[in-house]
Amino acid sequence: MSFSERMLKIDRRIIFLMIGLCTLLPLLYPVGLPIKISSEVRGVYDHIESLPERSVFLLSIDFDPASKPELHPQAIALLRHAFRKNLRVIAMTLWVSGTGMADQLVTQVAQELGKEYGKDYAFLGWSPGGQAVIINMGQNLYSAFPSDYSGKPTKDLPILDGVRNLKDVTYMVSLGAGRPGVEEWYVFGKDKYKFEMGGGCTGVMAPGLYPLLRSGQINGLIGGLRGAAEYESLIGQKGKAVAGMDAQSATHVAIIVLVIMCNLFYFSLRRASQTQGQVG
Amino acid sequence: MDATVLGAWVATGLTLLIFSFLYKDNPLFKLAEHLYVGVSVGYIIVKTYDTVIVHLVVKPIVENGEIALLIPVAIGMLMLTRYVPKAAWLSRYAFAFIVGMGAGLAIPRTISSFILKQIEDTVRPLMSMTGPDGLAFSMNLLNPGSNLNALIILLGVSSVLFYFFFSIEHSGAGRAVARTGVIFLMVSFGAGFGYTVMARMSLLIGRLTDLIEFSDASYGRPTIWLLILMIAVLFFLSRRDQEHPPDTH
Repeated sequence: MSFSERMLKIDRRIIFLMIGLCTLLPLLYPVGLPIKISSEVRGVYDHIESLPERSVFLLSIDFDPASKPELHPQAIALLRHAFRKNLRVIAMTLWVSGTGMADQLVTQVAQELGKEYGKDYAFLGWSPGGQAVIINMGQNLYSAFPSDYSGKPTKDLPILDGVRNLKDVTYMVSLGAGRPGVEEWYVFGKDKYKFEMGGGCTGVMAPGLYPLLRSGQINGLIGGLRGAAEYESLIGQKGKAVAGMDAQSATHVAIIVLVIMCNLFYFSLRRASQTQGQVG
Repeated sequence: MDATVLGAWVATGLTLLIFSFLYKDNPLFKLAEHLYVGVSVGYIIVKTYDTVIVHLVVKPIVENGEIALLIPVAIGMLMLTRYVPKAAWLSRYAFAFIVGMGAGLAIPRTISSFILKQIEDTVRPLMSMTGPDGLAFSMNLLNPGSNLNALIILLGVSSVLFYFFFSIEHSGAGRAVARTGVIFLMVSFGAGFGYTVMARMSLLIGRLTDLIEFSDASYGRPTIWLLILMIAVLFFLSRRDQEHPPDTH
């Protein structure tokens, strides 16, 4: 068996180990590679930065713990930014499986920045129906969420003073890991009720959302852990996403090297078999 | 034991059990997989019951006397008639309501958002007006709104649409256009795959970050102890399989 053949039939566990080491070592010994800010992430940041104090900021946490590594850092960075700007933060989720996690993350960031529940922020929880909830909120927010996550009537929350439906929302960001998510918020929310909107998503979903970004249907897009790292850099508070960027770069280099090597071995094997065929 | 510490041990244990699949399929992985499915379904059932049945149906009807809610409840209950063969036909009314309402809501909004708006963006002017009588062509590839990108998008959309147009044979000039469409599709698949790799690596980074955090003494070093335990169990299972190979018949 030639070297190329042995390499192409290598035990896949060796590749897993290589990728594991390429991820683990930069996490243990960070290098601090520079992070360049993309225009799509800056779009969300600049819009929040331009909002006056006490504007209504709606954050829909449309993911569950399965997408936590990518979207949780995005949510934390966005909440920190919104709280620092003294916006009225209304959080909610369209994913039942993400309800507990969403409540925990909103409460954690609010406590970190000394915000008061009901006055500075509220977590409405989950309501069934997906896109129907968005339409319902567009007509009457209190009908979609008669009570918040803790069971308090939403009509009694001071943060919702003057907010009747989605038309009263100044800016909205959906952090989506699938459906319902960013697309549903655009189709059934922004397109119908005309509020400004940005998006955040997992890396897998990002290519599918770029058409919405280019056409101006959403004004910014935070894509995956990379997008979260950019947002953390913009707000000047580095967190888990920035810490993971060295590991991300190292694994990408490892995968590129593996793909190139695999192709080299494949073509060398093919060439060898062609030469053998000509001799035979 | 503090809830945070207990949570760290459970999270570390389950992460390591799932990672054990990378070595080979084993009972530890299956245990974690079944736990994941069971806990997820249980969580969803409890949250749905509490939110829908208790807070959106029972409380408003009993406490506020919102009797009108009985109409959607009745339509919803019709779904359950599928379990009674003689009355199963009643469930069609509920399905008809859902399909009719869903289609009515989705079709106009989807056409507006994904077809009309995207066509509008695709047929942007290929030249820009710079003054009262001047035209310019911006060549900046990094600017999504540049004229060069508008041209590339127009070319891509047209050639990919032509590639999926099967009513005429793709030969001669048509073949060149179809091949261009294939190139655009390949670039799109490549970008999608690149982002997928990035996403999967991000998930790995997330788990490894937690494992590093939980190797701290304040949690009782669950990462180290459970890793040693898991390796020992995998070694034991491997030895047992060698001595008594599983019966595959």
